[in-house]
Amino acid sequence: MNSISPIILTQGLSRDFKSNRAVDRLDISIQPGELFGIVGPDGAGKTTTLRLLAGLLDISDGSAQVVGFNLKKNPESVKPKVGYMAQEFSLYAELSVLENLTFFAELYDLDKNQMRERRDSLLEFAGLTEFKQRRADKLSGGMQKKLSLACTLIHNPPLLLLDEPTTGVDPISRREFWNILTDLHLHGTTILISTPYMDEADRCTRVGLMYQGRLVECAPPHEIRANLKGELVEITPSDWKQALQLLEDLPGIIAIQTYGESLHILVNSVDEQLPEIKNVLHKHDIKYQNVRQTSARMEEAFISLIRQIEA
Amino acid sequence: MLKRIWALVRKEFTHLRHDWWLPAFMLIGGAMELLLIGWATSRPITNLPLMVLDHDRSPGSRELVAALENTNTFRIDEHVSDMAAIESAIERGEINAAVIIPPDYFDMINTSSGTPTLVVILNGAESIPATEAMRTIEGVTREIGERIVLERLNLNQDQLAGFNPSLRVWFNATLSEALYTTPAELGLMLEFTILLFAALSFTRERELGTLEQLLVMPFTSLEIVLGKSIPVILVGFIDFILLLGITNLAFGVPVRGPVPLLLVLIFIYILVELGKGFVISIISRTQHQAFLLVLIVGMIDFMFTGYAAPVESMPEVLQVIANAVPAHHMLAILRGILLKGSYGKGDPEHHG
Amino acid sequence: MSFRHLRAVTRKEIFHILRDRMTLVLVLFTPTILLFIMAYAITVDIRQVPIAILDYERSAISRSLIQQITAGDDLELFSQVDSFDEIEHLLIQGEIKAALIIDPNFSSDLFSLRGLPIQIIIDGTEPQSGAYAVDHIALRAEELINIQLTRQIQALGLDLDSIQPIDLRIRTWFNPSLKPRVDLVPGLISMVLGLPALSVALTLSHEREHGTLEQLLATPISRVDLLFGKMIPYIFFGLLNVILIPLVAIAWFRIPFNGNFLLYFALSTIFLFAILGLGTIVGVFMRTQAAALALSFLVIFFPGFFLTGIFFPIASMPEIARLEALALPGTHYAIITRGVFLPGVGLDILWPYGVMLLGLGMAFIAIAALFFRKKLA
Repeated sequence: MNSISPIILTQGLSRDFKSNRAVDRLDISIQPGELFGIVGPDGAGKTTTLRLLAGLLDISDGSAQVVGFNLKKNPESVKPKVGYMAQEFSLYAELSVLENLTFFAELYDLDKNQMRERRDSLLEFAGLTEFKQRRADKLSGGMQKKLSLACTLIHNPPLLLLDEPTTGVDPISRREFWNILTDLHLHGTTILISTPYMDEADRCTRVGLMYQGRLVECAPPHEIRANLKGELVEITPSDWKQALQLLEDLPGIIAIQTYGESLHILVNSVDEQLPEIKNVLHKHDIKYQNVRQTSARMEEAFISLIRQIEA
Repeated sequence: MLKRIWALVRKEFTHLRHDWWLPAFMLIGGAMELLLIGWATSRPITNLPLMVLDHDRSPGSRELVAALENTNTFRIDEHVSDMAAIESAIERGEINAAVIIPPDYFDMINTSSGTPTLVVILNGAESIPATEAMRTIEGVTREIGERIVLERLNLNQDQLAGFNPSLRVWFNATLSEALYTTPAELGLMLEFTILLFAALSFTRERELGTLEQLLVMPFTSLEIVLGKSIPVILVGFIDFILLLGITNLAFGVPVRGPVPLLLVLIFIYILVELGKGFVISIISRTQHQAFLLVLIVGMIDFMFTGYAAPVESMPEVLQVIANAVPAHHMLAILRGILLKGSYGKGDPEHHG
Repeated sequence: MSFRHLRAVTRKEIFHILRDRMTLVLVLFTPTILLFIMAYAITVDIRQVPIAILDYERSAISRSLIQQITAGDDLELFSQVDSFDEIEHLLIQGEIKAALIIDPNFSSDLFSLRGLPIQIIIDGTEPQSGAYAVDHIALRAEELINIQLTRQIQALGLDLDSIQPIDLRIRTWFNPSLKPRVDLVPGLISMVLGLPALSVALTLSHEREHGTLEQLLATPISRVDLLFGKMIPYIFFGLLNVILIPLVAIAWFRIPFNGNFLLYFALSTIFLFAILGLGTIVGVFMRTQAAALALSFLVIFFPGFFLTGIFFPIASMPEIARLEALALPGTHYAIITRGVFLPGVGLDILWPYGVMLLGLGMAFIAIAALFFRKKLA
């Protein structure tokens, strides 16, 4: 594994803004073909990291190698090999789908045949073929995102840097979007994707958790989930509001999440705490049903990790 | 309602504080601009390149040349020896005027009835300096001519005195250019600043999509408009005070009339221009459009202020339209209150 | 530089403008509209300047003077008043621009050659009208004086010729009646043709504000291609005006065009290149459109109006302003337009200005490219 050189290698990569350090001594190594997810709360530094790697920001400290080029010395050489999709990727509103695609194709120097072929297949991929003459500002949100992705992919780059590409997109489009990504992954494209959605993090080969500019965790999803301290109990009480208040401060309860009318309770040990819980609910005359132990999800793992750091 | 307006105003000021440099820029930039332009242009026309072709080279001709040079209007770079040089220089636009002194100039002057012919060639390609050059040369030759006449008729100065009508200039005793150009420039700067600011305030939000959000909030249109007006009015006022300060301190434009009245009238003017700016912002979908419209409207107004040509000389139709143009009245007000001290009886001293 | 990249950006910009009808119309026609408006304002010949007359003497002579003065179109007798206070009032109100006061001893003083007993008061806040009034009143009065003077001199037995002063022959080249509009309108063309620069200043900030710039920066496009590609559409729009505006000037305002149109066209292209380069610099430095607008007003529009020697001769400006004027493309172009219209001079005289503009253009683009970094911050 180590004999193949990483497609991204950073050492102490840092970026300072006026009032804070947005990316703090990032050490990361990403192999070709990985599907790497970056998660973290707002302001963690995800967007800044992606922008740095795309050559869009100056490096304040440290170094980085991207697709074989030194990022500090040769940022422009990186660009032909990278497909970057900004968080607020805005298309050119008055241009049609086809014109937007063609514009980027020209900038990436595709030859005539390549261009035609890539355009057609990408339109197909994104389900936009019948809309190709439509003005970009007349597309729905989901279609715009897919078009944005298509523009990012037009030159078939070995590395994709995607900044929250599915935010604000309807579930169906989101699924289609991921179909495209999975396909690319299967064909060997390296994808670095930042996302606020935990279920998407779960689909990555490795997940990096960023917090206040630092990379605090970097491992495959199942490892992260496994490292979660605590066990998860799901319960559906008849009065979840009251139940929540009652159970919050019980010893051994790490966290409680509401899911519709059920509660997901993170406890130190199910065997120890569950009877307690049942007792308390009983005492206050709250009925419950659907009690079961569930496996931790990325979300819980994530939240508990953050809590640990904050403590 | 007042509370909501206040909330809006506060929001606008928060925006403003974030983009504080924009109004600061416009204010300071406008002020510096006025300084620069005023300094460069509100001065008498001087230093015009003049070429002299002196066929005579006598004490008389030298006296004439010296008199021309002393006027400050001219700068004599060279004396040439043939017409070709003059023709070439005028074609190239290198000189504004040329004077050709005939070989018998001095002799003619010294006879009792000689009339030397002085040929002056003006470069009409720049009419403003050319007109000034002509006036200056006429003035110089008239003086010399008068002296000649006096000598010949053996009269003394007093007897021939006053053949020029006695001229009194009111309100602007020294005929300082600054006094009449800078109020106009002030008016123009102020108008453009307000128009731009007002026009952009709505258009910017519309273009960037934040207007939608404003519209779904529980504000009435009136409240929104008032909320947006207040920062513009404030900026407009500050701008006026700033510019007035500059014209007063840097260019010596006095404030002879009642200041409170001036401020009230300016306030009304700002409101009117504000309204115009808002109308523009309603018509425009993008900032680009808004600004082009501001340009057109602003320049039309400028035409009617009489900076370039007096309104009374315009065709009747335009004179009627001028009454509807706020800037026209604005300039009259500015000149009136600043220079004439109008609406109050000025004493004769003020009138020079 | 990649021609392909350049073409792609240019195409995108053109679509962007073409598909926004209102902006297209405005961009295309604003220069011409502005020229029309301003030229109209300037081509107004001063006439009918309102004056008031106060005649203390009321003799046949004074009345004939009054008649002479008010006979033509140039002065309009607003009212003949009876007191000095009225004159003061009218001047303050701005109803009159000048006043003529005929002293009570008018006739006798005149006959005895003891001077010209009239006073003229002008409103110093409008010297143009004032000067005009003085000139014309003096002209009429002078006729009267001359008649008187002649009689006196003959009475004294002197030779009439002896009192002729210097005979001034004035020849005016290119603009015989020294009508301001003949040279101001070509000057205005210079100013008005600089307008596309303001639009260019906007395009870069437009992309910043709308978020399309980030994506563009992530592509391999070079700085020069990006900036230049954004300029080119406006060169075309400018050229359209280069053709349209002289037509308006010649057909409507009857400004003579004596030069070579092809030469004018070529030099105008170079000018556009230069002024758009200046606009690009503004766009590179400003983050938002509003800021770009404000700066371009201050650096391109107003200086283009006041400091390029159109209204106020550069020779009379202080040294620093003169230097600054040199750096403004409008200054050189104004000389070119004036030269092409009136004297109809050719390349042999105009080439230095063309070279100057070329140099300025290249310098501006170089500066813009230098300061424009393909980075977000």
